[in-house]
Amino acid sequence: MSIFKRIRTAPPRYWLVVVVVLFFVGLPTVIDSFQASEWAQALILAIAIMGLNILVGYSGQLSLGHGAFMALGAYTSAILAHRYKMEYLLTIPIAGLLTGAVGFLFGIPALRLSALYLALATFALAVVTPSLIKRPVSLTGGVHGLFLSPPDPPQFAKDAFTAVTGSAMTSDQWIYYVTLACALVLFWLAWNLVRHRAGRAMRAIRDGEVAAAASGINVAGYKTLAFGISALYAGIAGSLFGMAVGYVSPDTFPVALSIQLLVGAVIGGLAAIPGPLIGGIFAYFLPIESNQWVPTQTWIPSQIASTVEKAGPAVTYGAVLILIMIFAPNGIAGLVTTGYARLRRRLRGGGDRESGHVPPDPQTV
Amino acid sequence: MPALLELDEVRAGYGPTSVLHGVSLSVPEGEVVSLLGANGAGKTTTLRAITGGVRWTGDIRFAGRSLRGMHTEDVVRGGIAHVPEGRGILTELTVEENLKLGSYLRRDGPAVRKDYDRAFEYFPVLRERRRLSASTLSGGEQQMLALARALLMRPKLMLLDEPSLGLAPMIVRSIFEMIRTINQADRVTVLLVEQNARLALDISSHAYVLEVGRVAVEGASTELKGNESVRRSYLGY
Amino acid sequence: MQEFLQQIVSGIATGGIFASLALALVLIYNAMGLVNFAQGEMAMFATFIAFTLIARGVSYWIAFPLTLVIAFAGGIAIQRIVIRPVERAPILTLVIVTLGLATLLNGLAGFIFGYLPRSFPSPFSVQTVDILGALASYRDLGVIAVSAVVLLAIYLLLQHTTVGLTMRAAAHHPEASRLLGVRVSWMLALGWGLASAVGAVSGIMAAPILLLEPNMMQTIIIYAFAAAVLGGIESPLGAVVGGVIVGVTVNLAGAYIPFVGGDLQLAVALAIIVAVLVLKPNGLFGRPNVRRV
Repeated sequence: MSIFKRIRTAPPRYWLVVVVVLFFVGLPTVIDSFQASEWAQALILAIAIMGLNILVGYSGQLSLGHGAFMALGAYTSAILAHRYKMEYLLTIPIAGLLTGAVGFLFGIPALRLSALYLALATFALAVVTPSLIKRPVSLTGGVHGLFLSPPDPPQFAKDAFTAVTGSAMTSDQWIYYVTLACALVLFWLAWNLVRHRAGRAMRAIRDGEVAAAASGINVAGYKTLAFGISALYAGIAGSLFGMAVGYVSPDTFPVALSIQLLVGAVIGGLAAIPGPLIGGIFAYFLPIESNQWVPTQTWIPSQIASTVEKAGPAVTYGAVLILIMIFAPNGIAGLVTTGYARLRRRLRGGGDRESGHVPPDPQTV
Repeated sequence: MPALLELDEVRAGYGPTSVLHGVSLSVPEGEVVSLLGANGAGKTTTLRAITGGVRWTGDIRFAGRSLRGMHTEDVVRGGIAHVPEGRGILTELTVEENLKLGSYLRRDGPAVRKDYDRAFEYFPVLRERRRLSASTLSGGEQQMLALARALLMRPKLMLLDEPSLGLAPMIVRSIFEMIRTINQADRVTVLLVEQNARLALDISSHAYVLEVGRVAVEGASTELKGNESVRRSYLGY
Repeated sequence: MQEFLQQIVSGIATGGIFASLALALVLIYNAMGLVNFAQGEMAMFATFIAFTLIARGVSYWIAFPLTLVIAFAGGIAIQRIVIRPVERAPILTLVIVTLGLATLLNGLAGFIFGYLPRSFPSPFSVQTVDILGALASYRDLGVIAVSAVVLLAIYLLLQHTTVGLTMRAAAHHPEASRLLGVRVSWMLALGWGLASAVGAVSGIMAAPILLLEPNMMQTIIIYAFAAAVLGGIESPLGAVVGGVIVGVTVNLAGAYIPFVGGDLQLAVALAIIVAVLVLKPNGLFGRPNVRRV
């Protein structure tokens, strides 16, 4: 098939992806540098959430410890850059691979735990992580953490940016583009993973382990693999996070971070590729915006509004988790997909109910 | 005399798949009625509809009252015992505990004790094994437990789903003897779903044959037994 | 040597607390088949309610049972409102919902009561008694005694009453139970109410020792989880033994391994969990069966 035919017959989904990518590539040219840094952090969360999604949404294992994996990635990069003076960009894949290996190892005892107990175990991991980090003070800087100097954009990037926008590229904007590049690569990898055999195997495991094992799927292998891959993503996200924020300390990786990642994964939509992107944006901007937006809404009773404002994100996150699981378990991505499918059915004049036609699984992309 | 159980144009299914396409039957009080048919004809779905395990349209009336909109546990408390496919044994509990769940709703103490004696008389193995986990029972013993438990409920109507399934012929014979006794001595009306048409026709007074969700043939059991073409086409023997 | 013995006795006493909580977990959750990540937070919230009642002048001996009643009702309400809609969903969904509940309760507690640790009264004196040359406080022993009584009561209820029987039936075999006339929905709600009340007892017992604050139960739950894993999730005896071993180990590690110190004791518990899962997944007393933890 010629390339022109391919372009013409591509499903509308693909065009949506192109639009989204172009949007993100162009974004820093129209927003200021600080906002670019914020969007970079949203993308970083999206990467971590993508990893979590592979674990939770596709292989059905719950983890509340991904904040800890982010911490591992962040500190690996920070230590390599700070103590061993390694070029920061080089540390990113190293941090990812190291965290991935640790995640894979963690996946082995995890095989023995059912959903609730795995959640508890990973929760315990998240709780002890800040204390664990503080211990080897000479390595990690203890309570004070490590500072990282902001990277200077390379010449080619600076030239390109100035050519397009007329202003000089800041290091925040450079960081944004590095993050975006990583995100694109990692999303593409994940998409390929779930489309092919590994993804199908994982979903089979999620939906029924006994049946999956009976079909010859190596359940233990895929489950630990899922843990490793998701940890790799979290490690890379953590590494990018250190670069974006310029600073790593034990307090930047509390339990709340792990919960935030899970909320993002759930809101965006588990087992959906666009889910983590939506989830990352929500997870980053929701607490900030709700504090500013909620008090201005007169229709919200003042009791609820002041509680939301003062109680912090925990109350909102908790409520969101419950409500989404009850009313929209496939998250926003799921709502969009089912809404779209319903719209198409209506436009085409409805289907034949007697034929026993089973509606398409909304969870697959 | 109105029948104890009446189904009127009942349709039922699972999600988008329709299984029953308008089943009508009636079970007279005190009788044993068989519901026959091949696999997938809808026999189990019919029983499930009666006890509210599947959504249905049409009408189902028990002792004159419609069962529409009733929860399973309320239908059961109204006097219907349903021994499902697979027997519904609570394997996490002991034999004794299973039996107790049969009788726990009753308030007539002395009568309950008499019924226990009778259940153990019919099925002595249950008395022997009563403190053991129900999961240690063989298939035949589990069937006995299910029957004994149903008996302890003192129901007006018993729904039995394939009591012979997976059991050795000798055990099947004794199980069917029990069913006959329960019907005659305890005056329990029985709606019996069975693949083993011969046994079912021997024990029942009326029979319905389901095919693809509809009643294809109905009549007195003796008639169907004697009708060779019916036997060949629908009953497999 | 004297100090070592003291640490062991202390560890056994603390272990007794973990043991009783672990036992409560094991008993309630196995019997009821409950999945509830928010168990600790519900207990914490109930304890705060008790605290508020006492602060308003209600006597401890009235506030305690009153709180249990409130916790019981709260457990039922939570089951009806939050859990029932996702009853038939996969377990993962259920865990996430209860996780959301835990986060919500924790945040609410922080908002309503603040994060300052508060002291909580105990009906037992802090006087110590001499055991084998080491000291154990009446308070610690009292906690263990109360927990034992509660656990005995639960055991009797579940194993020797009709209500307990129907609760267990509803929990493990909901469909088959419905066919026996069991009102499964209400039995599950009752189970949640009961578990919530038991949790409240644990919280009220633990608060004088740990100091009451929103994160109070988190470490306890993890220790109790370690105890249950070590002992074998399905085994009540294992939970007791596991609790004691965890208590002693954590105490000794904290006292004698400088790396561990005060705040990494939780890491010791986590290490125990991982070690057991890798080496002997069914725990010390667990039945080696096909079904996993």
